[in-house]
Amino acid sequence: MSDLLERGRFLLPAVLLAALPFYLDAFWLRIGLFSMAAAIGAVGLGLLSGTAGQLSLGHAFFLAVGAYGYVWLAGDSGPGLPPAVALVLAVLLAGAAGGLFSPVAGRVKGVYLGVATLALVFLGHHVLLTADSVTGGFNGSSVPPLEIGSFAFDQGDDLTVLGVPFGAEERIWYLGLALFALTWFTARGLLRGRPGRALVALRDSETAAAVMGVHVARYRSAAFVVSSMYAGLAGVLLALSFRRVVPDYFSLALSVDYLAMIVIGGLGSVAGATAGAVFVTALPLLMTRYADQLPLVAAPGSGDGSIGPTEAARYLYGAAIVVILVFAPDGLTGLARRARARIARPRPPGPAPSDPGAAPRPPATAVRAKEHTP
Amino acid sequence: MTTLVDNLFNGLALGAVYALIALGFVTIFKASGVLSFTHGSLLLLGGYLTAILHDDLGFAGALALAVLATAAVAGLLDRYVLQRIGTDPHAAHVATIATIGVDIVLVTDLSRRIGGDLLGLGDPWGDAVTDMGPATVADSRIAAIIVSAVAIAGAFALFRFTPWGLSLRAAAEDSEAAALMGVRLTRVRMLAWCLAGALAALAAVFLAAFPAPGLERTTGQIALKAFPAAILGGMASPVGALVGSLLIGLTEAFVAGYQSDLHVLGEGFGDVAPYAVMVLVLLVRPAGLFAARGAARV
Amino acid sequence: MTPRTDAPPPLQVRDVTVRFAGLTALDQVSFTVAPGTAHAVIGPNGAGKSTCFNVLSGLYRPASGSVRLGGTELTRLAPHRIAALGVARTFQNIVTTQGTVADNLMLGRHALTRAGFAASALRLPRAVREQRDHLARVREIAELTGLGALFDTPVALLSYGDRKRVELARALCLEPRVLLLDEPVAGMNAGERVRMAEVVREIRAELGLSVVLVEHDMGLVMRLADEVTVLDFGRRIAHGTPDEVRRDPEVLRAYLGTERADGEDAA
Repeated sequence: MSDLLERGRFLLPAVLLAALPFYLDAFWLRIGLFSMAAAIGAVGLGLLSGTAGQLSLGHAFFLAVGAYGYVWLAGDSGPGLPPAVALVLAVLLAGAAGGLFSPVAGRVKGVYLGVATLALVFLGHHVLLTADSVTGGFNGSSVPPLEIGSFAFDQGDDLTVLGVPFGAEERIWYLGLALFALTWFTARGLLRGRPGRALVALRDSETAAAVMGVHVARYRSAAFVVSSMYAGLAGVLLALSFRRVVPDYFSLALSVDYLAMIVIGGLGSVAGATAGAVFVTALPLLMTRYADQLPLVAAPGSGDGSIGPTEAARYLYGAAIVVILVFAPDGLTGLARRARARIARPRPPGPAPSDPGAAPRPPATAVRAKEHTP
Repeated sequence: MTTLVDNLFNGLALGAVYALIALGFVTIFKASGVLSFTHGSLLLLGGYLTAILHDDLGFAGALALAVLATAAVAGLLDRYVLQRIGTDPHAAHVATIATIGVDIVLVTDLSRRIGGDLLGLGDPWGDAVTDMGPATVADSRIAAIIVSAVAIAGAFALFRFTPWGLSLRAAAEDSEAAALMGVRLTRVRMLAWCLAGALAALAAVFLAAFPAPGLERTTGQIALKAFPAAILGGMASPVGALVGSLLIGLTEAFVAGYQSDLHVLGEGFGDVAPYAVMVLVLLVRPAGLFAARGAARV
Repeated sequence: MTPRTDAPPPLQVRDVTVRFAGLTALDQVSFTVAPGTAHAVIGPNGAGKSTCFNVLSGLYRPASGSVRLGGTELTRLAPHRIAALGVARTFQNIVTTQGTVADNLMLGRHALTRAGFAASALRLPRAVREQRDHLARVREIAELTGLGALFDTPVALLSYGDRKRVELARALCLEPRVLLLDEPVAGMNAGERVRMAEVVREIRAELGLSVVLVEHDMGLVMRLADEVTVLDFGRRIAHGTPDEVRRDPEVLRAYLGTERADGEDAA
């Protein structure tokens, strides 16, 4: 019964998303595509930083492993595998890279892991620049289009569906949608299952988790590997959308963007990570498009000292992180949840204290390492 | 032989500058348990203020004002943003993430103002060099070592001889007990941020001085290399941070200096060598290095 | 999905010594918990009671001595291995995790379930079935501990006493053979104390497990415990049935000297 309800709840958005290419032009589709790719990566980071409480600033590195892994595996400079195989292997490669870091990721905890993962971004960027036979160096390389059977996810031959010409954006849209649905399905399965409960326990009390039978280091490592795999998948999708990968894209700023997504959306939930991803991804693109209609925002490249759309977006979400952490640590989803709860039932149920104002604050889901070393 | 002495000197100068930044990290960490990811932008702020003020105020006046202003910004940031999140260990972790948000805002704004420019800070050393036996050394590097040594000695004197230093150590040992004994934690940690901000602003001068071409919008990112230094030193120990900074500075200088022999690592590996050292350290002692703080009793 | 039926093996603590930075927290402490009995460890604050629990659950490694559950040496095992052997515990200050009562109790099933990352992510039939079956047993345990009506309530909304019971229920979800209760009624009001005592007695009768109890409430100790070990400054100063211990002059001295207020407050 609840399964049916759940399926019904997801069917409507799925149908809507699937219908969009018939109504939207390439600009909007690209925003949607980048948002879906970002959401896949953000869900992965949310699993690690939100659910397991392990901060990572190395997410850009794993996006890069996925993106470059795909490009090399499917490209002429590499083994030239069928692109679909290369996609799967690139995700596994990102997971393996996360696994290699597990001696650190399994034992360094909380925000300290954030410091440790800085190394991945800087060392990774260095490798991307210097290993130019594989990566193409500073100028990067072009991305081989994905082909499944004889169907190519690029401009390719003319294809018209129901009177709408299907170019690259339309085709990759469905790929993105499928991968996003897969992410949603698997991440929710994880979070509601045994691993999710173990990771929440690790975050809230390492000691309690251990005495309940959770192998602490193994679960920390596993969370890191899984998060890396989602990042790798996001990297592949981004590469396919951009059609070119360059090292400078995979910088610390990108890692920080992903962190912004999950903080803004509310740590620890799939829907929150998605909302945050859409916000952080779409905001600069929309501001660029509508720069001339926005107060205080200048068109890109219109001169010194003025605030360009990219900057305006960064001000906004930088400030959003601070404001949310100060005033609403559970992010957009938390705000929505509380609003819903207030509408649904003005008073907390049964056992709650009689004064609603004194009800305990919903548990802050921000990264925490509330350590209980006995 | 010449390269050896050159590299040694470069490494010491670099290490001395990292030490300024790392000492700030450690002071903040001891006082509040927060890891400051805002340090890059504080450093950039200090450098930027020096750059725009030195025409009017002269270098010394501009630097003094920049140091004070950066210290004030850091202190206010802690008092009115981070302390609002809370002061318990869990809040320290949330505040750490908030420092990333603050960094985004500050770096965005400063980058916009700096643009693609290289700003001179008007420092008195210019590109002058001094012959020191077998090696020729840039005056700016000698100045970096001397000024850092003086500033660090000053900071240690603060730790040791002022009531604030005593409170800081008490708070780091056991913040609850310190509060019970009348230590005003809000002030202790705010002053820790002020000190860290001042040190970062000072460090900016030497990161932008010769042989660097000037202050760029990416100069702030160098501050992150003080994290490996602080970690190497154990994060909660000021002396450890000094030793770690020197090791990191020397590593970077020697890797860069012997780059031709290390070409397998790729050009420019010196810049990222500190992070490689950090990973190696964490592989050997992953938990121990951070074990000093955050322990509570069940 | 059903409780373990075999009788719990004896828990033998032999000459356990724990030192922190020169301070001896436990000094050559020994006692044995006979199968199916309730054993109380009491003593003034700082006597080493919680330290003792942390050794039993693997959080501390003693400098010397041994802890054996049946034939298995526990002191060399990590906490999660000890949990898997059927040793469960509660904490003195409540340590629940985010989510509903059901989420917390299902965490207690961790050692008894298998579904890993891949199986849960792909929602393989065996993972789904496992979750459903164990949820049924967890609901039974919630009923047994009086949490049935609160099963889907977020733990953060519960009263102090209810959260204490969530901890107890979560420990029971491990289907323990030995249950370690660290001050189960601390901070509770009189009514809650009585209910908690009843619950502990019921689960002992129903599940036939051994209970080790650290508690200040002497009334509760006298009512529940079959045997009592008294610690003071990390040493065992007395041992025996509740009645024997109550009359022991050493115990009187330890309590009257330091802990009179606490004892009265608890009674």
